[in-house]
Amino acid sequence: MSNNVDYGKQSFEKYCEETFGIKNVFEKPEAFKGYRVLSCTQYILGPAAASYFAELGAEVIKIELPKAGEPMRHTTPFNEPFLYPLSRWYPDKGTGLGFFGANPNEYFVGLDFHKEEGKEIMRALAAKSDLMVENYRPGTFDRWGIGYRQLKEVNPRLIYLWEGGFGGFGPGRSRASYDILGQSQGGNFSITGQPADMHGHPSKHTIWLADYWGGMMGATGALAAIYWRNNKSGQGQMIEYSQVHGVQRQLEYALPLWGKFGVVRQRWGNWDTELSIHGIVMCGKSSYPDSDNPQEQEEGFILISAYKDADFARLAEVMNRTDLLDNYATHEARITPEAQKYLYAEIEKWTADKTKEEVAEILHSHGINCQPVYNSKEVATNPHWQKRGAITWIDDPSFGDVLTQGAFVHMSDTPPRIKWAFKPVGADNHYIYQKLLGFDDGKITDYENRGII
Amino acid sequence: MGDNGKCLWPLSPAATFDEVYKGAPEREIEYNRFLESVMHPRESGKKPEALDGIRVLDCSTGAIIGHWASSMLSELGAETIQIEPPEGDELRKLTPFGRKDWYFKDKERGEEIGMHFLHEMRNKQSITLNLETEKGRTILKKLAAKADVLIENAPPGQFDAWGIGYRQLSKINPRLVYCWVGQKGQWGPDKDRPGELEPTAQCACGFTHGTGFPKSFGGIPTRSGLWMCDHVGGTTAAMGIITALIYREQVSRKGQFIEATGAEAIIRILDYNWAWYGMDGSIRPRYGNWDLAINIYAVNPVADGYLMVGGGHDRLWYRIWKTVGKDRPDLEELIVLDKSLRVVTGRLPHYAQVKTYTTLCEWGKDNTRQEAEDKLLEEEVASGGVLYIDEVAEYPHFKYRGHVAVIDDALYGKVLYGTNPIFAEKTPARLKWIGRPVGYDNRDVYPRLLGYTKKDLSSLSKEGVI
Repeated sequence: MSNNVDYGKQSFEKYCEETFGIKNVFEKPEAFKGYRVLSCTQYILGPAAASYFAELGAEVIKIELPKAGEPMRHTTPFNEPFLYPLSRWYPDKGTGLGFFGANPNEYFVGLDFHKEEGKEIMRALAAKSDLMVENYRPGTFDRWGIGYRQLKEVNPRLIYLWEGGFGGFGPGRSRASYDILGQSQGGNFSITGQPADMHGHPSKHTIWLADYWGGMMGATGALAAIYWRNNKSGQGQMIEYSQVHGVQRQLEYALPLWGKFGVVRQRWGNWDTELSIHGIVMCGKSSYPDSDNPQEQEEGFILISAYKDADFARLAEVMNRTDLLDNYATHEARITPEAQKYLYAEIEKWTADKTKEEVAEILHSHGINCQPVYNSKEVATNPHWQKRGAITWIDDPSFGDVLTQGAFVHMSDTPPRIKWAFKPVGADNHYIYQKLLGFDDGKITDYENRGII
Repeated sequence: MGDNGKCLWPLSPAATFDEVYKGAPEREIEYNRFLESVMHPRESGKKPEALDGIRVLDCSTGAIIGHWASSMLSELGAETIQIEPPEGDELRKLTPFGRKDWYFKDKERGEEIGMHFLHEMRNKQSITLNLETEKGRTILKKLAAKADVLIENAPPGQFDAWGIGYRQLSKINPRLVYCWVGQKGQWGPDKDRPGELEPTAQCACGFTHGTGFPKSFGGIPTRSGLWMCDHVGGTTAAMGIITALIYREQVSRKGQFIEATGAEAIIRILDYNWAWYGMDGSIRPRYGNWDLAINIYAVNPVADGYLMVGGGHDRLWYRIWKTVGKDRPDLEELIVLDKSLRVVTGRLPHYAQVKTYTTLCEWGKDNTRQEAEDKLLEEEVASGGVLYIDEVAEYPHFKYRGHVAVIDDALYGKVLYGTNPIFAEKTPARLKWIGRPVGYDNRDVYPRLLGYTKKDLSSLSKEGVI
């Protein structure tokens, strides 16, 4: 798209489609072309932080243990789906789908930091990089001579992002963490799930939220540090991101409530503590009664959002239950716990003989906001998400056709994009070590044979 | 309780440096000490701010996603002006279960404000401006001419139709980074079915279907207790905005148009759902507090709550059962003598997970979270209880590091809040004030940026423009 075209008369939607549409993305420049990022990371938290830079066009070099790669490559649902090969050395092994999504567009090299040559290579790479992300236990890289204190001597402009569980100082400084532990101890776990009196338990966010979103938060800090370096100071710095701390930032009113009123926020299931009606109800009829997949056989669910008085009045009318307006015409009356328990049960009587699509159609035709609860197939095949490129097939150079998520944000001039999902371990040893460090083929083969790269 | 200025936190004081590091050999804590000296937020106020000099107009209203995005920028040092309709953002009125006694009130006017909104108003100035009036829109254009970033979340095309969309404002100020935020986007077949508020995006992106217990365990699809997509979508918006600012300064000399949605932010990070569906048509099932890809990696009940234990590979697997065996040799035997569980991959089928966790729960029922954690720690296994909010606020590690802190705000008194997790050596995020009453900064912002006098302001106010 050219910025010289006059869009004055074009409809806004058409304008957005051309501005953000996926068909133009690859013709546009990349924001971080020319930037280099080292990703010495495993699992999701650290890899994710680096991956957003790769989407934005930085040359991200993922550094893994030679030949076998990092542990997330061995993680996949029910141990079934894998993409082959794992590496040139293990052609009959594959990479699990757990690795997917955290490492797009990156260059993959092997490097063993335990060896002296490995440390030298690390320092040489850091000298030529803008950002380094690592998620080893606090102080490990420092002890190995490749931590922030040593690398800033090599490259004062380097931004060093440590991503981890609890952080490198304080009483819990030695504690290891996982996404689910970050959720457990951060507080969002205890306020998610059905309440105890409705036979519920605290529930984890199924997604590796504290990891993937923690990576975003760390990346946000790194972006700000790049801005400050480029425009103000010329200096690099170190950033420390604790994933359990991230979770504590997102507890909404829970902390002020405890601090001032001594009340512990509890879970409230699929409803909302601050808005009513604004919750998820069951639709008794399955949308796919003939499917042989239990995920599809089960009842449907739909979010109904009618918290404004006028919307609720319309909802009551649609349900043929205007009697509900006698006592619940105002938000003040609907928001109490007792009112919510009663009203959602009444709404579920109305949805009991309908599919979620039927409910959605009725409500939309009356201008009431609602959103069916989609499973991953319904999302992947949804025309809205397909058109927007949120989920898309790519012809991956290593693995062929794969269905992948799209970029994390839409940008008119420098859109992030997914070029490839990931590559086998060490796939870019030649490309990176030749280009950046001038290694010749003989040296690369020698180092590969000795397990250094 | 309930008076301004009173705060129950902390119930016990944070540990001192000496208490934390007592007994540890100097060689070991030298690095921790270095890190603490450069990272601890107690020094943040003395350091420069990364986005100092950037001016942000947050025109979003009625949803958290835009406020979250502008919070990230304001906590990193951007001058952030929250633009609200004259009657204030409707989120100000939100309070759990309608409890009016849980409103905060500012000392100057005694105006009520809900905690959810207050927690996200950090470091922002609040001005009022009625964008439904022609005059209000003219004023917005003048403000936009002096801003670096504008965030809005109006219905798709609304600002454009009003003449204050990206197409128009970018002509007035080509350097403007303009960001629209929402749940599902401003273009595409479902654009007119946007859903106003979270958890719409959670339901539309596949998250809710996959969270909670399986039907066979009595579970149903479950939303996050939080307005999670607002937080994640707001973060992607902030990332896009800072990226655009960097690109503007170093390359293009101009701003751009950004669109961030709560649903797509989660779609981007929803694990392996799409690749798996693309590969063999699999629909990601709910699996409660267990994990489809790792065993042991789960939360299960113990005597006084719920405990997370993790250790999928052999080294940790056998240590976990050794820990269990110290109390209950029979349970350890049940697992380690089972040949089908000897290989990592053998532990992943559903029946294997059921056996694993029912056995672990049999041990857990006789241990509290803390007892279990201590015992597992002896074998260097990572575990931790599911903490309730009071426990989170009082947890020694978090208190010491300032993950949770109290600000003694000039207007709102003492407020307990979650601090920004971006700790940095040179430009850390920080909190300067927690929030402002409606239009509190009209008297500062309008004179300073547009040269309005007191008289101008009062006539604009009478006309309903501000």
